[in-house]
Amino acid sequence: MEYLYGIIIIVGLYVILATSFNLIIGYGGLVSIAHPVFFALGAYTSAVLSRDVGAPVLLAMLAGTLIALLASIALALPSLRVSGDYLLIASIGFQLGILEMIKNFRFTGGPGGFTNIPPFLIREFGRESYVVLVLAVMIAVILLVWWISRSDYGRAMTAMRDDELAFSSIGRDAMWMKIAIFGLGSGIAGLAGALYAHYFRFIAPEQFEILQSSAILTMVVVGGLRTTWGPIVGALLLQAMPQAISFLHLPPSVLGPIQGLLFTGLVLVFMFFRPQGLVPAKDVWRTVQRTAGKVRENR
Amino acid sequence: MQDTTIILQILWTSLATSTYYVLFAVAFALVLKVTRLFNFAQAAVMTIAFYTAFVAVQWLEWPAWAAFIAMMVMTLAASYALERIGFEALRQRGVSVMFVFVFTFMVSEFVAYVAMLIFGTWPQTIFPMIFWPVTLVGEIAVSGWDIPAMAATVAALTAFFAFMRFTRTGQFMIGVADNPDLAELYGINKRQIFLVAMLIAGAFVGLGMFLYGTRAQVLPQTGLSLMLFAIAATIIGGIGNIAGAAIAAVILGIIQNASILFISSEWQGFLLYIFLFLAIVFFPNGLRLPRRRGRFGTATRDIPLGRDAPPAESQA
Repeated sequence: MEYLYGIIIIVGLYVILATSFNLIIGYGGLVSIAHPVFFALGAYTSAVLSRDVGAPVLLAMLAGTLIALLASIALALPSLRVSGDYLLIASIGFQLGILEMIKNFRFTGGPGGFTNIPPFLIREFGRESYVVLVLAVMIAVILLVWWISRSDYGRAMTAMRDDELAFSSIGRDAMWMKIAIFGLGSGIAGLAGALYAHYFRFIAPEQFEILQSSAILTMVVVGGLRTTWGPIVGALLLQAMPQAISFLHLPPSVLGPIQGLLFTGLVLVFMFFRPQGLVPAKDVWRTVQRTAGKVRENR
Repeated sequence: MQDTTIILQILWTSLATSTYYVLFAVAFALVLKVTRLFNFAQAAVMTIAFYTAFVAVQWLEWPAWAAFIAMMVMTLAASYALERIGFEALRQRGVSVMFVFVFTFMVSEFVAYVAMLIFGTWPQTIFPMIFWPVTLVGEIAVSGWDIPAMAATVAALTAFFAFMRFTRTGQFMIGVADNPDLAELYGINKRQIFLVAMLIAGAFVGLGMFLYGTRAQVLPQTGLSLMLFAIAATIIGGIGNIAGAAIAAVILGIIQNASILFISSEWQGFLLYIFLFLAIVFFPNGLRLPRRRGRFGTATRDIPLGRDAPPAESQA
């Protein structure tokens, strides 16, 4: 049962990550690969505060969420001030830079990882309670993103994404909207990280490397951008795949690259042959194509 | 006296090791200038270049010159495939800039995982040994790698800038970089020019990786870090300013090497991310130098990227 609970929790956390990333890349149209690093910041902050500072776990989790949110604003503010394109570049540097810091600092446990993280709820109420907690957070996040995407704010997001110039010309501040979307999505990733840390009780920098960026991106692209169900389907599918591969009993040195190949290969295949993903939304990836189509027609 | 010698030694070593950084920065800046794409797939080309040379020397036991030729062939083939199969198809589809970003990044990661699967995750070098004989010039140690690397880089850059200035194709490249649609009206084949830019960039990457792989250890993910360095240099040098990117690469290389005097070695790699952050925050349009009109590569100008860029279809 413990194995099953572990899988349910992992799937639940990846649904949270994929859904919050969908808010950023899908609904917000912001390209970043640094989502796993906010997951890491949430996990490390909560773990360090609860184990070494003695903070109550719930408070540490909230602090982890807040730190991820603030870090995302610190990343987005300077990059988006220039252009959305710089966010992607900055996000690569930010992810690798933060991981480098985690590896070099002693208080984070260095490359060996951070162990003996205090558990939450499990001792008092059993593992089932943690499964319920993760699933409750997952449903809350899905509903939150669904509600945002259908609210007035969601329609404003669509307008901002589709035509930023027109959006700005009616007096709306596109940059702050982007920062708000990025901050909210990253804060949710931080919460997922905190939830991860207090169940598995061990975190290491290698768990948040570029492979995770590819995995989360794959979940959203393969599942379907800008849809509620897309990231859920993507997360379930992409989490089922490593479980299936693990039955092949391959050595870890082969398993990691094979997972990476599957994730990146699937993104490439879907981008070329089914850009709308398994659960299609309208006009995914096609903001320019409509213009291009008109250009072709005019010729 | 000792301090002066140390500083001179660091300066010399930095200058020598900045050779490959310059080549990577020029390659990245050239593709960005001509095609207006942040080509993150350059990391994939770097990985292909290095492992081709590695296989040729260490597995097939070919001589260095044959390995170099094989590496260049593979690098150019990868650049050709990337342009013709990847970018050209994407331009024809008229996809968004975000799509191209994700595509190039995923290509780099895909190639890195292929390399991990085949070659493992431990560091490799092109030759079994990376220790080069050292000659003392005054009190400065000059390794047997330094002079050939610097000569090769200077020769490659001279040939490149002469090509851009004096050949028709080079002038067409400048024309396409300035205004692709106007260039097309004048009968310039943009498709051909994009390919030439990618191939030249590929050649620079090939040479750069050969130099890097004969001096330092390479992992499948090394290409990504080297590319980030090139991006930082490109931004600081001023987007659209190839010579600026080259100069910025030298300066960043010197700062990174000289940092050993002030910070411990494990934090040296972290400087790269500081450079990138500072470049984006403080120099998003590059360090503006006085303009010298009419000379290629010295005048910075703004290239519209992202949402401000003209539709991709119109560039194809």
